[in-house]
Amino acid sequence: MKNLIPKTYLETLELLSSGDYRLLAGGTDLMIQRRSWSNMLPKFRKSTLLIFNLQEMKYMFEEDDFLHIGAGTSLEDIKDNDLTPELLVEAINIMASPAIRNMATLGGNIGNASPAGDSLPVLYVLNALIVLESIEAIREVPISDFIVGPGRKSIKSNEIIKEIRIPIKQFTQTKFEKVGGRKADAISKISFAGAVEINNNIIQDFRVSFGAVGPTVVRKKSLENEIIGQTLAEAKLDVENILKSYEPFITPINDQRSNKEYRKEVALNILESFILTL
Amino acid sequence: MKDISSSVNKVDSVIKMSGEAKYVSDIKIDGMLYAKTVRSEHAKAVIKNISLPELPEGYYFVDHTDIPGKNFVKIIFEDMPVFAVDEVNYYGEPIMLVVGEDKNVITDIISKIEITYDVKTPLFENTNSAIDYHFKKGDSKAAFKNAKKIISHDYHTGYQEQLYIEPQGMIGYIEGKKVTLIGSIQCPYYVKNAVISILESEDNEVRVQQAVVGGAFGGKEEFPSLMACQLAVALRKIKKPIKLIYEREEDMEVTTKRHPSWIHMEAAIDENNGISGLTAEVAIDAGANIGLSGVVLSRALIASTGAYTIDNIEVRGDVFLTNTVPNGAFRGFGAPQMLFAVEMFMQHIAKEIGEDPLELRLKYLAKQGDPTSTQGEYRDPIIMNDMIQKAMEMSNYKSKVKEYENQGVSKGIGMSWFLHGCGFTGSGEANHIKALVKLEKDELDQVTILIAAVDMGQGVQTTMKKIVSQILDIPLDQVIYNKPDTDFVPDSGPTVASRTIMVVGGLVARAARQLKDKWVDGEKLLVSERYKQPDYIKWDEDKFIGDAYPAYSWGVNIVEVEVCPVTYQVTLKGIWSVYDVGKAIDERIIMGQADGGILQGVGYGYLEVMNHENGRIKHKNVTDYIIPTTGDTPPMETFLMDNPYPLGPYGAKGAGELTLVGGAPAVALAIENAINKKVKKIPVTPEYIMELMKNG
Amino acid sequence: MASIKFNLNNKETVIEESPTARLLDILRDKYNFVGVKEGCGEGECGACAVLMDGKIVNSCIVPLGTVEGKSIITIEEFSKSKRHKILQESFEEEGAVQCGFCTPGMLIASESLLNQNPHPTDEEIKIGLSGNLCRCTGYNMIIKAVKSAAKKGDGLW
Repeated sequence: MKNLIPKTYLETLELLSSGDYRLLAGGTDLMIQRRSWSNMLPKFRKSTLLIFNLQEMKYMFEEDDFLHIGAGTSLEDIKDNDLTPELLVEAINIMASPAIRNMATLGGNIGNASPAGDSLPVLYVLNALIVLESIEAIREVPISDFIVGPGRKSIKSNEIIKEIRIPIKQFTQTKFEKVGGRKADAISKISFAGAVEINNNIIQDFRVSFGAVGPTVVRKKSLENEIIGQTLAEAKLDVENILKSYEPFITPINDQRSNKEYRKEVALNILESFILTL
Repeated sequence: MKDISSSVNKVDSVIKMSGEAKYVSDIKIDGMLYAKTVRSEHAKAVIKNISLPELPEGYYFVDHTDIPGKNFVKIIFEDMPVFAVDEVNYYGEPIMLVVGEDKNVITDIISKIEITYDVKTPLFENTNSAIDYHFKKGDSKAAFKNAKKIISHDYHTGYQEQLYIEPQGMIGYIEGKKVTLIGSIQCPYYVKNAVISILESEDNEVRVQQAVVGGAFGGKEEFPSLMACQLAVALRKIKKPIKLIYEREEDMEVTTKRHPSWIHMEAAIDENNGISGLTAEVAIDAGANIGLSGVVLSRALIASTGAYTIDNIEVRGDVFLTNTVPNGAFRGFGAPQMLFAVEMFMQHIAKEIGEDPLELRLKYLAKQGDPTSTQGEYRDPIIMNDMIQKAMEMSNYKSKVKEYENQGVSKGIGMSWFLHGCGFTGSGEANHIKALVKLEKDELDQVTILIAAVDMGQGVQTTMKKIVSQILDIPLDQVIYNKPDTDFVPDSGPTVASRTIMVVGGLVARAARQLKDKWVDGEKLLVSERYKQPDYIKWDEDKFIGDAYPAYSWGVNIVEVEVCPVTYQVTLKGIWSVYDVGKAIDERIIMGQADGGILQGVGYGYLEVMNHENGRIKHKNVTDYIIPTTGDTPPMETFLMDNPYPLGPYGAKGAGELTLVGGAPAVALAIENAINKKVKKIPVTPEYIMELMKNG
Repeated sequence: MASIKFNLNNKETVIEESPTARLLDILRDKYNFVGVKEGCGEGECGACAVLMDGKIVNSCIVPLGTVEGKSIITIEEFSKSKRHKILQESFEEEGAVQCGFCTPGMLIASESLLNQNPHPTDEEIKIGLSGNLCRCTGYNMIIKAVKSAAKKGDGLW
């Protein structure tokens, strides 16, 4: 087993194509998951590539109607950048702690693909695209197609998450809500991201997603389409039906943090509150 | 002369702020080996066979076969084995240590150990009673017979984990036959005595030193004796220094926690809507060993009337053994469980008989001269009425109660009243501890305090020095107080039970006065004082009759909350407290204890969840067991009211536990008042709140 | 194994170790900076906090390989500074130290916060310290101490 620190992004791609490596950036998930007794090395099962210091992966700029975020950019840097959409800033603000945010990367949060990952519901709602690159090819995939299960991604073994592209769009109202065990340093029991565009009282765009209540983030474009085109008043009157239509797609589990009844009920409460306070 | 309460800078802050303070895992000894504990994988099983791999040179197994003495940790009963022999009774029970130089090799050895178990059916229900107590006062049977109405409720409290930020640990070395242990401990002599017993050694063959302790809260009261016994046996066998530091998850899974409790309360209401009789039935889950559970139960039962005087009571309780981690001491020691039940019950009685809860509670609030729950007497002044007024003023309690009554679920305010008996229950101090303190003066007129009391953050290193410095009228830095080392200090008793300032400090004050009388500049002098129980303190241990404690400290906590109607989450909006600890030896230190204690008590009430599943602790790391962060902490205001106790140094009574015991009922009452549903168990999680709102 | 070169407590250093080793273990064991504590090993409690290029990180989850070319400051070095002195005075005056185990981490967190925001509000202080757990103090005295240090140390940060 080797643990290499590639000097360039290109070297990283080459290494990924030449062997089986675990990508290790900030370590804020992997170093915890692999931890061992103190003074013993974490139990990585594969060789690792340490990519935290690749400056080439740390950037943010706007181009072609997209916000481009390098996957190696730290959460704290994203939070402090003026280009970052409010919804994403809100999510990062209550993630973990300052110390974790200084090391955690957006690529890492996506790569960990935890059902409770807090940036994920926001990225789903913002229609984020994940740019994957290998030595042979580069491709783009919507985040909803990229994450396929808890901790599982549709990624080739020689690919790296290079960049996150977020379509630049102004929303009339956005909301991020995290329900954790306490006010900071908590893993979400439920998370919610919502974004709407309203013109002349008509809902032109309506997007909501839920985290931690299913194996992956729950977002239902078909249900959103039924709300789009309604007036605000109509949507509010119809809220019970909207909740009913979302209910079967919210499938939380029981675990040490919470139970399914609470997660389901509160997820729907948050959706209800979101709609009624538009 | 300055008032002793006047705050000074703590004597150990600077060394802690520079990173120089040495906690046990910071200590390195040349040639030291590491130890790791091999533990049971089942809640209940017979060990049929242990197949051990070959050991490389310099690696060792240490198990029950290496024990010279009796294989029990000397505490009260012979019931906690140092190493399991042929059966295990809880998941994580220690079976052996593997000791060696390289942690990778130790881990590899452990992975190759094959233990064959004959798994048995574990017991998790409260059916195996190991200890039961029962006492009465007055005639509650008659009261219930003649009652106009009987009200009964069941309450439940969960585990609480001390979560000292420094995990448990100990390091030791051996020279000849003498074993020296340095540990993160509260009670050097508990450890020493346990080790003497396990090694069957002479008194001078065991030395115990306290390292700087990173928090304890009772979790390092009796548990370290188990580690010490294991380490001592290993040291005798291997004859090299050994370090045993627990990983956090290990610590959370296997060390002692606050006993979960089930409390059944009944009240007889007479035709004047008075509480003519009260019964309480208490069950506490001891886990697999009794340990200190009998004493925890005692304290709980004695607290069965809380801050109130009820004439006719009957109280019973059981310590139940289950196949779970053995539970033990945690700040409050049985009182937090009982006070939660009592405070909720008083509110629930009031609601059911149509009385204003405040009025009802005031009616029964204890007064000086009243008999206690065990027919002792509240000999000293009780200033609770003033304290309650002050707390209500500070928090705007009355107007908030009115305002929040009818505004939907969101806001609530709750108030708890409580007391804490200071010192050991009953005759423990006189019959078991017999505390001895010494003061040694050298030719430079420096005075060294020789006591076994441990500073675990509560500021004892500073407050003890203040007492001596004030009495002798010498500067604080002319007083020396080193971390206890049993080679140099007498047994002044364990650092527990809110006894340190009141009892040990009291003895230190007397010794200082003795020293003052005999003082000659430039001459060496040694004085000592031994605890003597005041004559009027009489306690019948079997019948629970008499003065359970020599003194009581009192408190009022008010907590304001906001409950989110969408997510049922609770936000703490403010906490106001008033305490009577007699006299603060250092005001800022007591205020610090107040802040920390109340947050720990409130956390117990609404935030900290720990359950087991099939005998395994589910919430076994700091991510899953949730304690408050800065983000959860509201503004807090504390007011101290002097009420000097004649037998305490400068009038001081106990304070260490008082500030925790009222937190849970205060926050539970606040939530109950917000949501208008009866709260019967803690922690009052959002999940429970939702359940109450849907079904309550 | 790799050669990791970094600036530790204002001294250039090179160490041959596995890049995935925990920075905490390297600091405590190889360099003997035991002021950096292990409270949980899972990046939750903040007792292991150090400054990496002036910002707080939890050394128990920082892979050694990531510190290449960076500056790491532990409490031992920080405690030599004027800023620490102001914080120390304030912590003492407010009674913010009890058992002391969380204290080095709290001081590192304070420095990281004030470095970026020399005059934080109470709310901002709470956020800055939100990754540092304390079981003894109930936090408020620590928050007051940081507020007081920011005021007294006007110009230092």
